[in-house]
Amino acid sequence: MKIAALALIAALMAAPAFAAPAVSDDATVTLTFDTAATTGQVMVVLFGSEAAYGGQGAPVAQAVVDVAAGQHTATFTVPAGDYAAKSFHDVNGDGRMNTNPFGMPTEPYAFSNNTRGNMGPATWAQAHFAVEGDTAQTISLR
Amino acid sequence: MTPTRRNFLMGAAALSAAVATPEMVRAAAALDATADWALATRDLESDVAPQALRLVHGRAPAGLEGTLFRNGPAKFRRPGGSATHWFDGDGLMRSFDIRDGKATLQARFADTPKRRYEAELDAVVTPGFGTAGDSRARLDSNDAANAANTAVMVAGDKIWALWEAGSPLAMDPGSLATEGFVTLRDDLKGMPFQPHPRYAPDGTVWNVGTSGGQMVVWHMRADGGLIDASLVRLPRASYLHDFTATDRHLVIVLQPWVFDHHGMPFASQFAWKPELGTQVLVLDKADLTQSRIFELPTFSFFHLGDAWADREGTIRFDVAAGKDVQFAVEGARVLVQQRGRVPGEPAVLKLITLHADGRADMVSSGAVGEFPKANPRFAGLNRTLTAHTAGETPDRPLPTGLAVQDWASGASDSFEFGIGHIVEETVFVPKPDARTERDAWLVGPAINLRQGVTELHVFDAGHVSDGPVATWRADVALPAGFHGAWKG
Repeated sequence: MKIAALALIAALMAAPAFAAPAVSDDATVTLTFDTAATTGQVMVVLFGSEAAYGGQGAPVAQAVVDVAAGQHTATFTVPAGDYAAKSFHDVNGDGRMNTNPFGMPTEPYAFSNNTRGNMGPATWAQAHFAVEGDTAQTISLR
Repeated sequence: MTPTRRNFLMGAAALSAAVATPEMVRAAAALDATADWALATRDLESDVAPQALRLVHGRAPAGLEGTLFRNGPAKFRRPGGSATHWFDGDGLMRSFDIRDGKATLQARFADTPKRRYEAELDAVVTPGFGTAGDSRARLDSNDAANAANTAVMVAGDKIWALWEAGSPLAMDPGSLATEGFVTLRDDLKGMPFQPHPRYAPDGTVWNVGTSGGQMVVWHMRADGGLIDASLVRLPRASYLHDFTATDRHLVIVLQPWVFDHHGMPFASQFAWKPELGTQVLVLDKADLTQSRIFELPTFSFFHLGDAWADREGTIRFDVAAGKDVQFAVEGARVLVQQRGRVPGEPAVLKLITLHADGRADMVSSGAVGEFPKANPRFAGLNRTLTAHTAGETPDRPLPTGLAVQDWASGASDSFEFGIGHIVEETVFVPKPDARTERDAWLVGPAINLRQGVTELHVFDAGHVSDGPVATWRADVALPAGFHGAWKG
């Protein structure tokens, strides 16, 4: 069953992580990653609009969670609004989302709300969540 | 319009067709009623705890000790949505254990992510070979759709449930408990591993998996450990369920059912193009870049027999050859509906010869046949016998008999149970003191429709027409399985 390579891969290959500048009235979004392996790092990208989530625009923030060093959490400070996250566990720490020779990901990936893809990434409708105050989610990368 | 005798008669025919005669009513009612073969695609609601089978015929052959593992779909329907194709039910692993003259049966569903998720929803939502699925599907990897329902391979101290588009699923041979998907190498996670691995005389195992026009070739030790994996580009993106092998060659039969467009269900992606003919790609096991292509007239197929090559390089193997893909697309759908006429003609057992000079030909045994199996001691080597299911007719689906084709003499040694039975694949089990191909038992189940139960039959491979030498009976009917493997 051939499933098209996921847009996620490209979305996650962007620039290194940075912390969004803190602004008053902003809220924190805390994403905790439950991983099967304890090696490598989790790459996570946060989007603030359906267009950006779909590849038409820049992400709001991104982070690298150093799983090998025992980290499991990424925290973003953002204005109130709707957000969605894409993440993958770079188990071997090579900085890439590895795929098998037929183009299927070989490392775990997941979306906010723990939604799963269906022959492609989870949709914005499935993955987005409202941020009105401090918000936390646990995302399974097993 | 001038009335003529011809259009008067046509008018009369049209009129009579609009009038329901008693015969037509009876025929329509027969099509509407659940067919007597419906047990073949019944739903099993739970695992089957180990149960002793009752010997109802003959006696247990001395020296027959071991386990027949078999896999096949056994849960199709859920209130919120159902699998609509025979190939898409949840895999049920069965073990028929024969020891000290007694037989025991147990069966356990492969505990796949697909089955867990669909049990939670109480709906089949995942696309499959012929099932469309719906938007609730979680298809984020091939193995999310893996029904682990097609075949079984003995891999060291595990058994692997196989499904053609995804990873093997490891299960415990004693308890049949699911352990998890097998990744043969980290960078090959999720690559397809087809349900018909081929055993080589050197004790290693070969298998393939395809995606469009690409094929992965797996080469393993008998314990399932990977020796090597290679990628091969196919000359055409055919639907492939089975390949075969000699001691020196891999034989890839490319039917003219070729990839046409992306979509779901899986089978909807392929277009039947009989004008293309059927091709056979032969690869050299020692150097997979060395290949030859042979051309044959059009046929469709699911299953091949073990291949062998002579000193001159002539390659022979058998195929359960079909005329078209009607059964694959439509017939296997009607089987799950459990009523009506199942479209598609039964496959016929044929022998293909690939000559060293590049010619290829195919001769028919004349026998209806599916599920070809050969004596495993002769896998990849010169052999003459092929066991196969038999007795299926265009009017009635599923096999009712068993036969052994002798390609050397042209003789067919067969036994017909009759339409009260659905006969499943049998496997060769060499006798303890076996010297020849014929020194073997054939072991396989059948559904006894009149008794409403599954039976396990043992035949002497050299005397099939004598009927079973032993038959044990369960107190439950398991739906028809696909493929099995013997562990001695």
